[in-house]
Amino acid sequence: MADLAIRTRNLTRTFGSVRALDDLSIEVPPGAVFGFLGPNGAGKTTTIRLLLSLIEATSGSAEVLGFDTRTHGADIRARCGALLEHSGLYERLSAEDNLRFYGRAAHMPKAELDARIQELLTHLGLWDRRKEAVVKWSRGMKQKLAIARPLLHRPSLVFLDEPTAGLDPVAAASLRDDLAGLATRQGSTIFLTTHNMAEAEKLCSLVAVIRQGKLLAVGSPAELRARGGGQRTEITGGGFSDGLLDSLRRQDTVSQAFVENGRLILVLKNGASTAPLVSLIVREGGEVQEVRSGQGSLEEVFLTLMDEEK
Amino acid sequence: MHTDFMTVFWKEWKEILLQRSAGGGGARQPLIFIALLGIFVPWRMGPQRFFNPAQLLVFTFLSAIVVTAVIADAFAGERERHTLETLLASRMSDRAILFGKIAAAIAYGWMIAIACAVVGTITVNVSHREDGFMFYRDTASWIILLIGPPLVAGAVATGGVLISLRAATVRQAQQTLGIGFMIIVVGMIFGSSSLPADWRAWLGRVLVEWSLTEIVLVAAAGILAVDLALLMAGMARFQRSKLVLD
Repeated sequence: MADLAIRTRNLTRTFGSVRALDDLSIEVPPGAVFGFLGPNGAGKTTTIRLLLSLIEATSGSAEVLGFDTRTHGADIRARCGALLEHSGLYERLSAEDNLRFYGRAAHMPKAELDARIQELLTHLGLWDRRKEAVVKWSRGMKQKLAIARPLLHRPSLVFLDEPTAGLDPVAAASLRDDLAGLATRQGSTIFLTTHNMAEAEKLCSLVAVIRQGKLLAVGSPAELRARGGGQRTEITGGGFSDGLLDSLRRQDTVSQAFVENGRLILVLKNGASTAPLVSLIVREGGEVQEVRSGQGSLEEVFLTLMDEEK
Repeated sequence: MHTDFMTVFWKEWKEILLQRSAGGGGARQPLIFIALLGIFVPWRMGPQRFFNPAQLLVFTFLSAIVVTAVIADAFAGERERHTLETLLASRMSDRAILFGKIAAAIAYGWMIAIACAVVGTITVNVSHREDGFMFYRDTASWIILLIGPPLVAGAVATGGVLISLRAATVRQAQQTLGIGFMIIVVGMIFGSSSLPADWRAWLGRVLVEWSLTEIVLVAAAGILAVDLALLMAGMARFQRSKLVLD
């Protein structure tokens, strides 16, 4: 087995004058749940297409499971599962037939395929409705089935492109639990793209942030929080006017300032002190009752990185 | 390759049948063909005309029409329903995907043609039961019945897949294919009259001097050559990177 599940070196892809992916160099160890975070149009889907050898790189190179994407596309696809931008389900077919088709495509023996279909559909609570045409299902059920599909043949590497996009919070949380359970039991490497930071924080052991094709940061969620997000200060009180927020945002030590549920939230750059800011708030007519400091969330790290790159 | 081909064929065949049985005009179309060309027409025309080899050309033509409706969906439908990229991300080879889709369409067209011929034979035999059992007896008829529909349907399927590979929607593929089909048919009908006089004379001599079986075999070889040329063009056009980005 390769010592890395994925390794890219200066991977670049242009479409006309647009650099969809710009000098991307990442390494993903086997067994990791790798979160690839970025806003819409950041280059996440392009990266997956390149890694699956569905499109060719303009320059740079990539190895997936030890195979070069330029020369061993078929070998890579045989060892990977992929849930891409769309669910990819054949809606006229039943859930069972959808899985059977992709199981046969993965050359699974019939007995193993039957058992695996039962295992996955039972785990996801879909077994009783396996004979129904998928078109009759809710979006959440379809998405569960769509996640079962790439896991079917127990691939070494699974690509999941925004698997919870478009789902309501309850369905998304349920799907995340299912995904975490399945991934843990199977031991596959997972390459997960998302712009849902809570999802990444919950599932991923390693995270990379990308924007306009460029890699901004990579590390474990804890490392990123410590490195890029600085500290989060929550101030309870009142008088948090727009003018005060503008004054705070102009401070060099402040990455973000906003009001959330009546509390003033400040995201500070590393090493910044809260005291001068509290003084500023009071001077500008704000009232401070309580100050609480802690580490920022991954979402705040992400937003800070996005702001810095503007 | 064989396993992948059969997998694609199995999926396509299921989708074709489910599409045809899912209600709407598509579900009725094969039944209308069978009722019209398998019951009504044979019942009216009687055994002598029905068991004429020329009548089998109708079934051959029918298979081509049926395939036109199915093959447009092959790639354009996958693209429209957002299943194409997932299919391309599977381990299956380009050829297995392409050949499986073409073969399923041809098999469907062939099945409808054979169903019309079988139902027609039953209709004629029932309506003229006093004449005893009747069936196709000459070699040319059997050749047309067995290889005519797959060869002609094959030309439509391989040509259609070229269009479907690039079409954005099924409707666009169907329209392009329909127009192309009409141009070829009209061209064949009116094109023969614009041939040089000595060519027409040669063609006339061939039709008189050659046996029907020989004419059928030569025509079959010609259509097979067209099928293979279109199939190779389809293989050249099937490029994952272009299909993903189109």
